[in-house]
Amino acid sequence: MNALDLLFLLSGATLLCALLFGRTRWAAPLLLLGYAAQFVALLQTNALFGEPISLSWSLVVLDQPMHWRYDALSWFFALITLGAGFLSTGYGSGVWMRDYERAGHSAGVLHTALAANVFSMVLLVGAEDFLSLFLGWELLNWATFFLMALRGGIAARAALRYLGYAFTGGMAILGAMALLYAQAGSLEFQPIRESLPQMSDGQLWVLLALLGSGFGIKMGLLPFHLWQAPAYAETPGPGSAFFSAVSARMGLYAMLVFFVGMVGLARLVQMEIPYTFLNGRDLLAWIAVFTIIFPTYTALQQQDARYLLAWHGIGQGGYMVLGVLVGTAEGSAGGLLHIFNHAITQVALLMAVFAVLYRTGTTDLNRLGGLVARMPLTFLTLLFGIISLAGLPPMAGFVSKLLVYRALLFEGMPLLFVGAIIGTLGTILSVYKLIHNIFLGQLRLEHESVQEAPLSMLIPMLSLSLLIFLAGYFPGPTLSWVAAVQAQLGLPVVNYHLGGVYDAHGGFNMIWIVSVLLAGFGIGALVFFGLGGPSKRVHQLDNYAGGHFLYAENRYQYSDHFYAGLMHLIGPWYRGSFQWLERALGSIVDFLAHFTNGFYGIAQPLLWSLAAVLGIAVWVF
Amino acid sequence: MHWTHLLLELILMPLMAFFIGMGMVLTLRKIGAKLQRRIGPPFFQPLYDILKLHAKETQSSHGLIHEIGIVMAIGGYVAAETLLPVPGMNGIAQQGGLITLAYMTMIPSLGLALGVGQCANPNGSIGISRALTAMLAYDVPFILVVFGTAYAAQSTNLVEIIAAQQSDGIASWGLVQNPLLALAGLLALQGMLGKQPFEIYVAPAEIATGPMVEMGGKFLGGLFIMQCFQLYTAGVLYTSLFLGGGENWLTFLVKIFAVVSIPMAIAYLFPRFRTEDLVRFFWKWPTFLALLGLAFVLH
Repeated sequence: MNALDLLFLLSGATLLCALLFGRTRWAAPLLLLGYAAQFVALLQTNALFGEPISLSWSLVVLDQPMHWRYDALSWFFALITLGAGFLSTGYGSGVWMRDYERAGHSAGVLHTALAANVFSMVLLVGAEDFLSLFLGWELLNWATFFLMALRGGIAARAALRYLGYAFTGGMAILGAMALLYAQAGSLEFQPIRESLPQMSDGQLWVLLALLGSGFGIKMGLLPFHLWQAPAYAETPGPGSAFFSAVSARMGLYAMLVFFVGMVGLARLVQMEIPYTFLNGRDLLAWIAVFTIIFPTYTALQQQDARYLLAWHGIGQGGYMVLGVLVGTAEGSAGGLLHIFNHAITQVALLMAVFAVLYRTGTTDLNRLGGLVARMPLTFLTLLFGIISLAGLPPMAGFVSKLLVYRALLFEGMPLLFVGAIIGTLGTILSVYKLIHNIFLGQLRLEHESVQEAPLSMLIPMLSLSLLIFLAGYFPGPTLSWVAAVQAQLGLPVVNYHLGGVYDAHGGFNMIWIVSVLLAGFGIGALVFFGLGGPSKRVHQLDNYAGGHFLYAENRYQYSDHFYAGLMHLIGPWYRGSFQWLERALGSIVDFLAHFTNGFYGIAQPLLWSLAAVLGIAVWVF
Repeated sequence: MHWTHLLLELILMPLMAFFIGMGMVLTLRKIGAKLQRRIGPPFFQPLYDILKLHAKETQSSHGLIHEIGIVMAIGGYVAAETLLPVPGMNGIAQQGGLITLAYMTMIPSLGLALGVGQCANPNGSIGISRALTAMLAYDVPFILVVFGTAYAAQSTNLVEIIAAQQSDGIASWGLVQNPLLALAGLLALQGMLGKQPFEIYVAPAEIATGPMVEMGGKFLGGLFIMQCFQLYTAGVLYTSLFLGGGENWLTFLVKIFAVVSIPMAIAYLFPRFRTEDLVRFFWKWPTFLALLGLAFVLH
């Protein structure tokens, strides 16, 4: 038994444990042990820096072999999956789960759904042929639906909406598989890789459309993004954090395998769109940029912290795709690095928001405020997270975005560059609204006695905060993973060092940048606390505006419609075009379904007779 | 470079930025006074203001974040100054580059926004929401300008961008090579410095100075220090991108003082833009100019 066999076995065993013992009180420690053991097995595969490792056994289905193999790309995604699984389980293991059970939900079902997601992903990222990939894909779709629908109500509706998208995506992938099989005579990656150069541009465009939409749905790329935010936001806390870290990235994983690893960016560039200046790569890059911009500015309009973050999660996926598509060493490094950096950022942010929900019972941004005085460590986590999400120094998100910006700049892509920056600026506005409306401003009367988040939630939150900072301060280790993935995918490899990258256009060194920034803060503190006299804390109601003093029962409410001036201008631009598109596509599918029904009714009367007889038999007996 | 030399540069660069920045504050106030036919403040007034505010007996704090916000506002600029090359000193400019510098200058804004947010005063929060919206507006042309200059030099390293402009005298200045970008940059500068008609976020008569509404004593003193750094950073950045940087300290000082004087000199010509008009303006004219300038650079 090799290390990959062990990883798969442990992943299956963890799922089994969740299924059998999920309701017991030692379920959480057992599952944490399971995820930790999987992590150790993953390290033992040495697939990142060593040779790829294959599973000792394989299956044959309809004469098609099913293989699993871990390489650097698989290792990278599995690491994020297991890390997110471990931390989410840890976060939900203590008082959060007791509260969840008290509300009438089942811990066992939640644990099982989470473990099923992890197992599906471990399986998916090891696929070495399209059949295994499809198996992992569909398993993941169902596991995702299972976890999403747990809370019922809005969550179930959002999960059903996801299922509609997932089926459509699955069918598109199946269609592409049929085309690939017809061309290559096999569903294994290697024969397909060899047959792709012989395919015509027309055939590749069909594949691009089918697989791009299939994988893009999971990723939440425009225009297939509408399902994601409500579905992720309404999932129970640990599940929501897990989804936001890695679930959507499975779409990106599959895109990387096919479009970068098999087709190659050079071929995408050759696929020109007639009568335009665009080619296949440009088209995908523009989709990525619009995926950055539209969801980001939708996030800006949200009044619920979970939805706001979920919309940002969609937007941040655009940076990953964009970076990879630029194709240079720095660009693809930035895109790939952002997968990891965003995962740790988004998990920390959602954990902080769910900690607020746990303590206050709401994530409505108009019903919160001033909580920094009651939940300072949760505030710290959210602060580190928003700095990273906005891509500002010194946090992890800055490094990956900086690499993407630099790549766009030196490749001479000004409009894509500006699009990416507009996304970042929108994120800054949005995350300030998030932290302002939850933690700053006035503390509400009903939150006077709120306490800090419990320790079981704080430990993963603070660990992630530290990781976000360290990954920004010393990006070398994460860049080394990314460099291995680049080599695996045949991309130019980034020339990295512990603090950043070397580059002919002028590299950067985060160790210097962050050290100087910290020294600057030290000087600022010396000036502020050293030069000035001692300050006296005043009560939040020791305040005025518009010539009126404040009273406890008569406070200000000014967080609603926070960016009024901006919304006066861009508000009318939100016309719900994507909702319209979704409804239109839904109507078309509905029409086709009715048409097909009618057709079968005429063409296959025997089938309907059989169904009717069966129905009557069931009713009678 | 020997580490003691570098350490000396890292200490001197923010220190000189602060003193030069105070000179800029004085210059702007003098220009404002001249335009309004007043005498204006005495030479040491900016320094007196900072010392006086820090020495006040009553220092009202709304909480730790209120205080940390000011620390971030000063600290972010102290760090940013070490990324801005000046004659004879490059600091760590080669470790960061132009994009890093642009993002580093957002740290003080974030600090200020956090500090103001904790004050729980609606005027402060409204001011910050307007200031962030203004940033979204003027940063679009500014980023295009950054792109254009860095692309033209094929480097984000400010030392190299300056050296390229000094290779052939004035003819090689960014202003001559890319005049449209320079003009767009100047318009963005007016917004960055919050001068009329783009000062809706302070609007004293409407929202009682906005972000500064709850700032007194050393809190306001900290913002005065931040303003010194802000003016200096804007002047040096524009000079480095378009005016060939500083060949020596004399020409350098002349250029950076001239740059920051322009927004003040024309400020009183304008009324105040509403927030949406401000956004509309920046996304129209300076962006159009920058895009046109960029088209020349790319071809």
